[in-house]
Amino acid sequence: MLRKLQNTCRQLLLEGKVDVVIGYGQADSESPTHPVFITDAKDVKKLVWNDKCLINLVTYLKRPEIKSLGKSAIVAKGCDERAIVVLEKESQLERDSVFVIGMACAGVGQPLLPKCKVCDAHMPQVADIIIGSVENPSVDADTRYAELKSFLKKSPEERHKHWVKECRRCLKCYACRQTCPMCYCERCIVDVNQPQYIDSSASTKGNFAWHITRAFHLAGRCVGCDECTRVCPVGIDLRLLNMSIAKSAEQNFEFRAGVDPDAKPIIGSYSEQDREDFIR
Amino acid sequence: MSQIITKSSLLRLADKWLAEQKRVIGPRSAPSGQVLYAEVEDAAELSLAGYIRPANSIKDYIFPRHEKLYSYKINGRNIELIDAELSTVEQVFIGARPCDAAAMPILDRIFNWDCSDDFFNRRRELSTIITFACKEHDDYCFCTSVNSGPEDSRGSDVILFEIDDEKYEVRSLTDKGKKLFDGNTEESDKISSVGPGPEICFDLKKIKQFLDEGFESPLWKKISLGCIGCGVCTYTCPTCHCFDIVDEGNSSGGERVRNWDSCQFSMFTKHASGHNPRSSSSQRGRQRIYHKFQIYPEKFGKLLCTGCGNCSRDCPVSSGVKSVLQAVQKSIMENG
Amino acid sequence: MSDEKEQFEPKIIAYVCNWCTYLGADLAGTNRLEYPANVRIVRLPCTGRIDFNLMVKAFEAGADSVLVSGCHPGDCHYTTGNFHARRRWILFRSLLDTMGIDVDRIHFTWISAAEGKKWQEVVTDITESTRKLGPYTAYQRVCGES
Repeated sequence: MLRKLQNTCRQLLLEGKVDVVIGYGQADSESPTHPVFITDAKDVKKLVWNDKCLINLVTYLKRPEIKSLGKSAIVAKGCDERAIVVLEKESQLERDSVFVIGMACAGVGQPLLPKCKVCDAHMPQVADIIIGSVENPSVDADTRYAELKSFLKKSPEERHKHWVKECRRCLKCYACRQTCPMCYCERCIVDVNQPQYIDSSASTKGNFAWHITRAFHLAGRCVGCDECTRVCPVGIDLRLLNMSIAKSAEQNFEFRAGVDPDAKPIIGSYSEQDREDFIR
Repeated sequence: MSQIITKSSLLRLADKWLAEQKRVIGPRSAPSGQVLYAEVEDAAELSLAGYIRPANSIKDYIFPRHEKLYSYKINGRNIELIDAELSTVEQVFIGARPCDAAAMPILDRIFNWDCSDDFFNRRRELSTIITFACKEHDDYCFCTSVNSGPEDSRGSDVILFEIDDEKYEVRSLTDKGKKLFDGNTEESDKISSVGPGPEICFDLKKIKQFLDEGFESPLWKKISLGCIGCGVCTYTCPTCHCFDIVDEGNSSGGERVRNWDSCQFSMFTKHASGHNPRSSSSQRGRQRIYHKFQIYPEKFGKLLCTGCGNCSRDCPVSSGVKSVLQAVQKSIMENG
Repeated sequence: MSDEKEQFEPKIIAYVCNWCTYLGADLAGTNRLEYPANVRIVRLPCTGRIDFNLMVKAFEAGADSVLVSGCHPGDCHYTTGNFHARRRWILFRSLLDTMGIDVDRIHFTWISAAEGKKWQEVVTDITESTRKLGPYTAYQRVCGES
């Protein structure tokens, strides 16, 4: 697979079809991977593909420093690729401005990441070329949200205590925001200071407000790449927050972000049949 | 002859300090599996072995991420300002690493440079730092490349050297340290050892020369392409100290607070006029290296880095000071 | 002298739309229908404008309950504002539930300009149910931490 990936990228660069290849590099086989931005065809040997390829590289498509390099090819796993679908739906990128190299993926992480255990996107769906082949079992919603279901078994007071404890650790480093492909606002609401809607302080109150806000701003947009959880320097399990809205979206509106390129975004649309059993 | 203490005696001492209403801070395992410096309520919570170094630094307890400076109350035309009280709680750090402790004298200089920062100074006075010298290191450590090492005792009040799993040699370096350990150690002829430390991975002289001449080098852009602009490197760094002062409140009252800030945030240098002199990630990435390896040394004579490696260890995209300087070194070697 | 225990008076913030619920509340007033003074009304042009952060801020400011009310579906003055709001509320409730925030303290209703009686009933019911739940100290404790 690696040979084919490197050859594909070499061709793309030599033929001038793309200006830069965004992929994974690695200092040595023991190190974690890091992003590489290859503009010279002879550098494609820097590309690697293995179970340490964790980063969701789609986040670079939103950065002006990367956009200025020209048309890009991007190495994407099935989970990463959904972010491209969402970004296109939100008019953040033209689909033909990116050449998507989809990688068949049996799961990443040592140990295997939780998202991989319930993944049904082992084979990319919208890529321009797919490298490799792997079984892609379907996963039902109950399995997909099993972790959330077991968390919800706790009482509301226990849940509240849990999140207060988690939020106390938050440093407001915004790694979760910066790594998320969907957090592309040029000026995040937490950086708006006239007036300051969300406290920028890393106090428990400020952290609580920040995490509620970010989770809700991702409603119907979060594709579950779990990068936010991976990058958190203090190990806050942000997956559960995003999962709770994703579960509600799937249960109430049969919607999963990034899966169907033709589906209408859920926050931007409505149905006259939306439930209102909780409304008096 | 040296003074030694057993691990169980050390933990008993920690419980004693807790009983004396001192705050005890040390490495603790989080549910996620990470080890982080945290305040403990019981010495049994401390995790003193089995990892290289915690993912955060001790600075959070001396220069907190969020600190009240004063509060205000508005009543009609009457405004009342109430100063925040300085800390009164004695705190003991157990299990700091040399790279954490060595950052303290560096921060002392900054917080007493043009004015005395009472909040910081009071916490420093009330803190006693017990450092564990390092027997092991990982690929991210580079203390030896920045004039430090696994037994660097700068900033420590007491430094402990491991003899074996259950015993440490105790060297009390300051009066504060002596106060905690005198009478609580035994004499011994056992020998402690310390690790060799990581191999030196870049040449400071060559780096300095590059910094003097290479401000406009295209290398900065190349190195910074992967940076996503979060604050992890700065917030987990023992020596980074930038802060933001904000007012939080409403028309009836509120507080003026100080929060950590990061030079890697895109709006860090945004002026009120709207101009941003560091609007790209390459300018910000370059600035961090210059601050640590040229600007601060020129002013204060020491590097603003202790080689702990947290910036690389915790970086979402595996960048960080060590890999940047190694890339600089590589570029120097390739280009002569 | 009787020993009167001071009854807990809940603070309820009501975010209401200008065209239906606000007029409904006004109608309750002109008809002299009494309802508890515990409710503080915040008037917005439409429920579609209601940002979920407004609910968070209400709790941060010390509210014990929050009421959000607007036009019935199909009657929105801006045609579709309340449809968008309804969808947001479905999602936001699930997030709040996961975070352990008391969803029994957040109430949604459709109250039209003609339903002064409904406004009176809703506010009275919410006041009493909140009184039973007690003050929302859990959230205040979060905010009080530094």
